[in-house]
Amino acid sequence: MESILSNLLLLAWLLPLASFCVILFFGPRLGTAGRGAAFVATGAIVSGFALSLTALILWVGTHGISGAHHADSADTHAADQTLSPDSQVAIDPSAAAVHLVAADHGDAHGGDHGHGRVGPKAAYFGDWYTLVDFDRLKITIGYYIDALTVLMFTMVTLIASCIHFYAMGYMHDELHDVTDHEVTLSNGEHLKRPGRYHRFFQYLSLFCFSMLGIVVAGNIAMTFVFWELVGICSYFLIGFYIERKSASTAANKAFIVNRVGDFGMIIGLMALWGSLGTFSFGGEKNDAGDIVKPGMFAQARAETDHYALKTPEAMVESARQMGAEDPEHTGHVLLIVAGLGIFCGCVGKSAQFPLHVWLPDAMEGPTPVSALVHSATMVAAGVFLVGRFYPMFTPEVLLTIAIIGCITLFMAATIAITATDIKRVLAYSTLSQLGYMMFALGVGGWVAGMLHLITHAFFKSLLFMCSGSVIHAVHTNEMTQMGGLRRKMPITAYTMLVGCLAIIGAGVPTLVGLSGYYSKDAILAQALHFGKNNAAWDVMFYVAAAGAAITAFYMFRLWFMTFIGQPRDPSRYDHAHESPRVMWMPLVVLAFFAIFVATPADIENFTDPTASPMVQLLEQARPDGTGIDFSGQLAGVMMPAEHGSHDEEIHLAAGMIAFGTAMFGLLLACCLYWWRILDPEEVRSMFAPIYRFLRNKWWFDELYDAIFIRPTLFCGRCIAQCDRGAIDWLIDHLAIWMRSFTAGFDRWIDRLFVDGLINWVAQRTYALGIWLRKPQTGRLRQYVVFIVVGTMAMYLLATFGLTN
Amino acid sequence: MDNPTLWPLTALVFLPAAATLVLLLLPRDNHELIKRVSLFVTVIVFVATVIMALPGITGAAHFSLDADAVAEMQAVFQVSWIPSFNIEYFMGMDGISFPLLVLTAFIGMLAMGASWPITKHVKAYCVLFLLLETGMLGVFLALDFFLFYVFWEVMLLPMYFLIGVWGGPRREYAAIKFFLYTLLGSVLMLIAILMLYFNSDLRQLSDEQLVAAHVVPDQQSVAAWRSANPADGAAADVPRHTFNILALQQLGQTTDQFSNSVFTEGGKSIQWWAFVLLFIGFVIKVPSVPVHTWLPDAHVEAPTPISMILAGVLLKMGGYGIIRICYPICPEAAYDLAWVVCFIGVVSMVYGAFAALAQKDFKRMVAYSSVSHMGYVVLGLGVWSAVAPSFNADYWKMGMNGAMFQMIAHGISSAGMFFLVGVIYDRVHHRELDKFGGLFAKMPVYSGIAILIFFAGLGLPGLCGFIGEVLVVLSAWNFSMVLAIISAFVVILTAAYILWALQRVYLGPEYKGPHPEALTPITPREWSIAIPLCIFAIVLGVYPQSLFNYMSPSVDHTVDALVEWQQRQAPAALAEDDDVQRENADRDRVLRRDVESKSKGERQQPAPAQVRLGWNRASHDALPEPESRRAAVTQAGKG
Repeated sequence: MESILSNLLLLAWLLPLASFCVILFFGPRLGTAGRGAAFVATGAIVSGFALSLTALILWVGTHGISGAHHADSADTHAADQTLSPDSQVAIDPSAAAVHLVAADHGDAHGGDHGHGRVGPKAAYFGDWYTLVDFDRLKITIGYYIDALTVLMFTMVTLIASCIHFYAMGYMHDELHDVTDHEVTLSNGEHLKRPGRYHRFFQYLSLFCFSMLGIVVAGNIAMTFVFWELVGICSYFLIGFYIERKSASTAANKAFIVNRVGDFGMIIGLMALWGSLGTFSFGGEKNDAGDIVKPGMFAQARAETDHYALKTPEAMVESARQMGAEDPEHTGHVLLIVAGLGIFCGCVGKSAQFPLHVWLPDAMEGPTPVSALVHSATMVAAGVFLVGRFYPMFTPEVLLTIAIIGCITLFMAATIAITATDIKRVLAYSTLSQLGYMMFALGVGGWVAGMLHLITHAFFKSLLFMCSGSVIHAVHTNEMTQMGGLRRKMPITAYTMLVGCLAIIGAGVPTLVGLSGYYSKDAILAQALHFGKNNAAWDVMFYVAAAGAAITAFYMFRLWFMTFIGQPRDPSRYDHAHESPRVMWMPLVVLAFFAIFVATPADIENFTDPTASPMVQLLEQARPDGTGIDFSGQLAGVMMPAEHGSHDEEIHLAAGMIAFGTAMFGLLLACCLYWWRILDPEEVRSMFAPIYRFLRNKWWFDELYDAIFIRPTLFCGRCIAQCDRGAIDWLIDHLAIWMRSFTAGFDRWIDRLFVDGLINWVAQRTYALGIWLRKPQTGRLRQYVVFIVVGTMAMYLLATFGLTN
Repeated sequence: MDNPTLWPLTALVFLPAAATLVLLLLPRDNHELIKRVSLFVTVIVFVATVIMALPGITGAAHFSLDADAVAEMQAVFQVSWIPSFNIEYFMGMDGISFPLLVLTAFIGMLAMGASWPITKHVKAYCVLFLLLETGMLGVFLALDFFLFYVFWEVMLLPMYFLIGVWGGPRREYAAIKFFLYTLLGSVLMLIAILMLYFNSDLRQLSDEQLVAAHVVPDQQSVAAWRSANPADGAAADVPRHTFNILALQQLGQTTDQFSNSVFTEGGKSIQWWAFVLLFIGFVIKVPSVPVHTWLPDAHVEAPTPISMILAGVLLKMGGYGIIRICYPICPEAAYDLAWVVCFIGVVSMVYGAFAALAQKDFKRMVAYSSVSHMGYVVLGLGVWSAVAPSFNADYWKMGMNGAMFQMIAHGISSAGMFFLVGVIYDRVHHRELDKFGGLFAKMPVYSGIAILIFFAGLGLPGLCGFIGEVLVVLSAWNFSMVLAIISAFVVILTAAYILWALQRVYLGPEYKGPHPEALTPITPREWSIAIPLCIFAIVLGVYPQSLFNYMSPSVDHTVDALVEWQQRQAPAALAEDDDVQRENADRDRVLRRDVESKSKGERQQPAPAQVRLGWNRASHDALPEPESRRAAVTQAGKG
């Protein structure tokens, strides 16, 4: 089974890469004007979907929908309990830092909800390829397959397939030469350029490959590798219209802001690597398939501890090596650092506060990209990683995650109220929904968060594609120039309505609803549950509930402004038309999933949200040991077990609040934009300061420009100046001083001393010559006298001097 | 002595130099012929190195990947050259030098191919170019310190003229700056070489070490060697000096030859000074802040192929020198100064990245990116994270391997970047970043290649830059968290300056500078230079093990030897004291120092809470403790 599954997913993963390579080398030659590129890419991703679906079916066939087989759950559950005494030992209160009050709670629910999973969850892991190998330290490309992996694979490939089809229609203009009306050249004309149809599909294929790489990743280093690769794909796709300055700037911004998150992620990786010595989730195996080094999860939550989170021994050891006074404590801090670091990467990728600024700008890319990359998949990768890495997060880190998610969901929702660019409204909505997911994970709602990830992927890609369909029809993003389009493009309008209803979590409380109803209720219920256990933090529940009201308001504001009322720009309205079939078919498919993806399949338990197959599959994928209450060592926070939120009392309260707030927001939108009871202009002038604040996106861009970008550039200039002004100045002046020193040396020593000596000797010699010249008179008699005197002197000297 | 590899390796190194004689006979005006002959020579050298690298081919000079041979020096030969000073013509290669040798031959070949636009004094250019190549190849193969120094200097002069004659407008300034900087390094190196030479004594080595260092060919001839160099009797005071790098390594690691103080009793030891001098000499070449300012000027003024050589090969000599010479010969000083080495590396990374961000000249920006990227190399070499009691060197090995990988990767990506800048400079004759734009539309293939190479520099996974950077940064954590975090921070700056440059040059609607008509698609010649670089960038990024197979046994061997040295310094008794010392961590430091130094373990203490965390380390180790340490060293050396 393991080899079948891993090979299926491997193939599904590599097909887009093959497609990328084919288009890279043969792109323009595939069909007329590269039309064939779309077929290659679409073929690859659709095959990938088929393979993923096969894998999903195989998975369900082997492991059932819920970990404990559902049909005869009561019996099996009892049998499980007798078979594995571990489940009883799990109630042992002595397990450090863990309150296991949930154990019998689980029993109460276990029978009918599949909470009764006993023992470790089903997961396959292994390596395909070794990237680097230094004996004990290894970085590999491998897989970690559990229900979540299979589910995400299917979801990503399904949405990507829809978007590939959609893009065939949307990018149609790129098949021939394009005049870009947003780019004006220096001669005043608009830019004309050849189409880049094949290149778009080339990038999409690379993106699919990278995204699936994150999903299948068997270790966090591999996650990081593909994390960067999706980043670069996002860079290419945002900057697809490379001639537009705004697009290339947005692409740079996206990549650099993501790198800020990656900076944190690298710190997390270092903290893990430096102490644990492995990046593997499941464990490193040798050729025989035996685990030679336990994975990160096993080190943090050992089976012998009943999967309770403990600081890994290796981290304590590492702290001891550092000479920490209290290794236990320092080791725990190290674990927190690792968790926060990894989360930092997720903050960047999922555009959470304070790194959210790149996502709205990323809407410069073509709309299918916004639908695929910047709403359904890549930005959700951050949430996915938090979910994947969940066993390693301490309650302190989870609390941070919850706070960040809570801030993001509220802030983004408020900005969305005032945005008028249809894609930006959706972008802020994406931010807000990602905030919900993070928030859910942070308050202990693993299934709630992951469920929202999946439902959101469907309805948000649907919403984006509907907006793309509208933009395709009216050639503008501004909602202020739309209106009444419902009559021109009904399919788009009503599929989008489905998306809007799904995102606000519409449904009949306690009965049935669209997909968003299930996920949002689960989040709010868990938030309420968390608030009840941590009174200091219960404000977050109210923020999330308020966020739900705002969501309903801005989504229906968007829908009403676009599709209802009179056309605001008649010329655009007249030209509008329903999109071609290749574009609206995917809308219908996605609308179907947006409605039903989380619906309970069991007729008998139709009103029970946890009876949905999706929820049960996720429950099956829940990381070991996270289904129980546990509290932090440093911060006084208690993470309540998720099934606590399924209590009638909590769930009903949360469901009613969610319903009430959504209805409130919806009605407010109706008053303002449909029934026109209130005039939006008046409301706006009434709250002018707030409007300006929101309209300027809380001034984040300006703030970051002032405190990060300018100082960084200034610092760069200073350093460059330091090079020229200080170091080179010193070098140059050293040279100059050296030259003047040698010049002085030359002058004083050479000229005065050496030359002076030479000259002095010469002058003396000359003077001597002058002096000796005096006897040279030329008179013979004088010479004869000299000779005689000389001869006499020599004679006397020879006679007396030598004889003595 | 039987030297089967003498002629193959000699031929490899001196082939370019010999070919200059042929060039001199060619007609001066036939530029094409001269260039073709030169290119042919560089191709032959490259093909020869590739054949040496290919597994499965046997021969004297083949680089063997056999398990028992791969970590050691291979293809060694030695011939006495200047016997009165024990100078030998002594060469060999291992996993550290061999990849650099291949890189040299590869970049040399591509740079010669990139030399076609040169039209001034072509013959002289090619002659100097080939001499330069001989120098570079020789540096990586030399195992005799004197020979190493000779090749090092041989390289310097052609480079000076290549920049000074064929360079840009400020070429004289750049050339003299390059020359003086490098000469300063060489002089310091020469002093260190002589210090080591006159303090070395081969007779201290054991029989096995003599064989391992290739002082004697085999075990049988040791006795003869010993009788020729008696350690007692009348000749006892006549030391047997050596320039043999391998022997110097053994001396540095297992004896106290280099541990005597230099100036005053209790001052810094010989190896401390030698390390500092050598390190400055090498780090000028790397180059690291603050001795890096020759690089931007030399790069900007040098012609494109010379920039490629500079960035691709010359900078690597600094790193090579550190790993081959500084660390193994002076382990004690290296351990003391590990923190300084890492600090310099990190400062270079940050400084270079910031400076690159502010540049307006395309080539200057790439030059500063080299400073930043070579900082990773210095950091990776320096992260000596093996400490008592476990002496776990895994992370340091990873760092060193990462550093070596980064050298090769940077050789490919930066040579590629300089080449690509040169391609457009040849067309429009300017490099102002703000006066480009829209090249993607005019030169699509070129722009695609450029984006790939620049992303390799940015450290994108799947391309060569990623592996080296990530290994170095990950390994830094166990040495110092502070430095590791700062080095991780550089990824943001790197992304910023590279993406910003790409945006200004390749993206945008239209070209904003002069000569827009000259922007024609790249020619097959340019294409055939850029594509091999792209291929290597991808292959090394996707299959790094292909390089590590050659490299890491030798790197690990080097690290193991150093850690063994370290363990010898910390006798087993110390490990038992360890707990006591940890408890005393907060008590009177001086007192503790005394106790410990009596137990002969001063340097190997984990220095609780400080060794990894940083700053206090330098001051901790700066205090003199000569007597005890020397005693320890002596004992360990004899033991």
